[in-house]
Amino acid sequence: MKKISKLVDRLEEDFIAIILGLMVIVTFTQVVARYGFNAGWGSALEITQVLFAWLTLFGMSYGIKRGFHLGVDILIRRFPKRMFKACAVFGALACIVYGITLISAEWISLFGFESGKGGAWKYWKLFYDAGFGMEAISLPEFIYGPDERLPRWIAYIMLPLGLALFVFRCTQALYAIVTGDREMIIASHEAEELIENNKNIVAD
Amino acid sequence: MESIVLFGLLFLFLFLGVPVAVSLGLSSVLVIAFLSVDSVSSVALQLLNASQKYTLLAIPFFILASTFMSTGGVAKRIIRFSVATMGHLRGGLAISSVFACMLFAALSGSSPATVVAIGGIAIAAMRQVGYTKDFAAGVIANAGTLGILIPPSIVMVVYAAATDVSVGRMFLGGVIPGLLAGVMLMTVIYIYARIKNMPKREFAGFQEILESAASASWGLLLIIIILGGIYSGVFTPTEAAAVAAVYSFLIATLIYRDMGPLKDVPWKTAGESYSQSAMRNLGAIVTKFPMTFFHSETRSVMVDGAKTTIMLMFIIVNALVFSHVLVSERIPDLITDLMLGAGFEWWQFLIVVNIILLIGGQFMEPSGLLLIVAPVVFPIAMQLGIDPIHLGIMMIVNMEIGMITPPIGLNLFVTSGITGMSMERVVKAAMPFCAVLFVFLILVTYIPIISTWLPTLMMGPEIITR
Repeated sequence: MKKISKLVDRLEEDFIAIILGLMVIVTFTQVVARYGFNAGWGSALEITQVLFAWLTLFGMSYGIKRGFHLGVDILIRRFPKRMFKACAVFGALACIVYGITLISAEWISLFGFESGKGGAWKYWKLFYDAGFGMEAISLPEFIYGPDERLPRWIAYIMLPLGLALFVFRCTQALYAIVTGDREMIIASHEAEELIENNKNIVAD
Repeated sequence: MESIVLFGLLFLFLFLGVPVAVSLGLSSVLVIAFLSVDSVSSVALQLLNASQKYTLLAIPFFILASTFMSTGGVAKRIIRFSVATMGHLRGGLAISSVFACMLFAALSGSSPATVVAIGGIAIAAMRQVGYTKDFAAGVIANAGTLGILIPPSIVMVVYAAATDVSVGRMFLGGVIPGLLAGVMLMTVIYIYARIKNMPKREFAGFQEILESAASASWGLLLIIIILGGIYSGVFTPTEAAAVAAVYSFLIATLIYRDMGPLKDVPWKTAGESYSQSAMRNLGAIVTKFPMTFFHSETRSVMVDGAKTTIMLMFIIVNALVFSHVLVSERIPDLITDLMLGAGFEWWQFLIVVNIILLIGGQFMEPSGLLLIVAPVVFPIAMQLGIDPIHLGIMMIVNMEIGMITPPIGLNLFVTSGITGMSMERVVKAAMPFCAVLFVFLILVTYIPIISTWLPTLMMGPEIITR
């Protein structure tokens, strides 16, 4: 089980590192092609933008797992222990509600509110059903469909998928907080890891 | 009504330990789901669309460049150059540390990274020649904040994206204030050193200055590539950032060889002729360099860069959602009317902005704070005739001060972490120099020409289209 979780860690890291690497390579080669050889391809910008969206959407769940999303803990740290834990649980629950509502806000009709607000799933489904293509990214010739452009739903699938992963990781974190394996869902500041790696390097 | 609920929920979530990004996003989503006619689909769409903002694309590239530049060798060479040029003044090591922080800030754009990279070496060096630890730590904690003021700076890119100001202009706007802040810190140190009769070093000689400059020049060339490229019109800021990322990767792995498979392969060994050295290096580069792309150290820098990007972008995306709700509920208009109706003068208004940011900066990461505050204060500032660049630079200086004032001062945490000093001691040590930056804030707030002179000179007068 431990081996599998290590493998998943590695795969997730590889995925975000490769996305970032591709973004740099695509943009850089485009610059070189344009100024060096007066050439270029029209889809470079759109590819980079899709990759950029994927990096954030996929990465947000990884951030929950690694606990690097920033939060303010100055108040709750002053609370008594049980209240602190209650707040930590609340933090995780809020993240779950956030993810679920964005995937689909239909749950509010359970409480008698007017529904039909949609969400990421409905939005994605719209593109899946309509089959719109991207603006500039085209498919290689051998898989030409009715449209030579890449269908939008493929690029947009990371939206519902990323949110679903986010909810999953938050649920895991919630469980860990309840059982006491994890303190809270947030990091108190952005330099936690930096300090950890450089602890006391110039201490006496 | 919506505005009270929106801000009420935001602060409730924020202080009860919900991540900043989710606090922003969830309060917006709840207001939209329950109180607005908008659909949640439109919010989901925003998550995708944030990455369509061309300006924001510069952020991951600048972060990556900064991560490669922070791998060690660059900071060492910059410090050597700084000490060679300024070490012979009284209090010279502290003055050169400030200078080194300024140079490093121009490569990295991150304040905590500057503190670790420069402080990690300079604090120990200052201790060795007899400076007190408190003095050394105080200097570094403060000079490190220049990271977000001296271009390229990620916070400036965020401000530009939020207000549709040109990134190039913002970068130019930061140059003079950055230099001024550095010079002010150096002057205060010099005066203090004269009074306390602190040690000075022998003048290192022009030979050493030239040699250290040559050695640091590969790193410092990055500034020229970025700024020169943008202002000559060769690159857009986003392209410049991508070029910077590739360049710093090559510097770290191929030129300085601080990481990757070529690590510790010297350019020239003693007793080797130039032709021998050229052949050996060519061989090493052909056989080993291609493996750099798969090397574990490259991978770890890429993962670090990706993590920082995700952390920042998740906040930015949600802050954009939040400000979208703000604008669609016409809250900025309401506040503008209220402020103008009350007869605020521009300088009174800037005091209000200063206070909001000084308080907000205690609890929130600079980019997120900027994205919430900017849509509200920007229209008012325009009505009052304040220059957008001036406003931006002023906001950034406020956040600098937020980094060195308790309770949540990022640079204080980092300094305390690397020196092993208690927070209270670091706060006390940073206080005198923090006062200098406070004076600097007042100058920047009330003398707009400090920030607007250079961009106007280089790019012509600002045309405000609103």
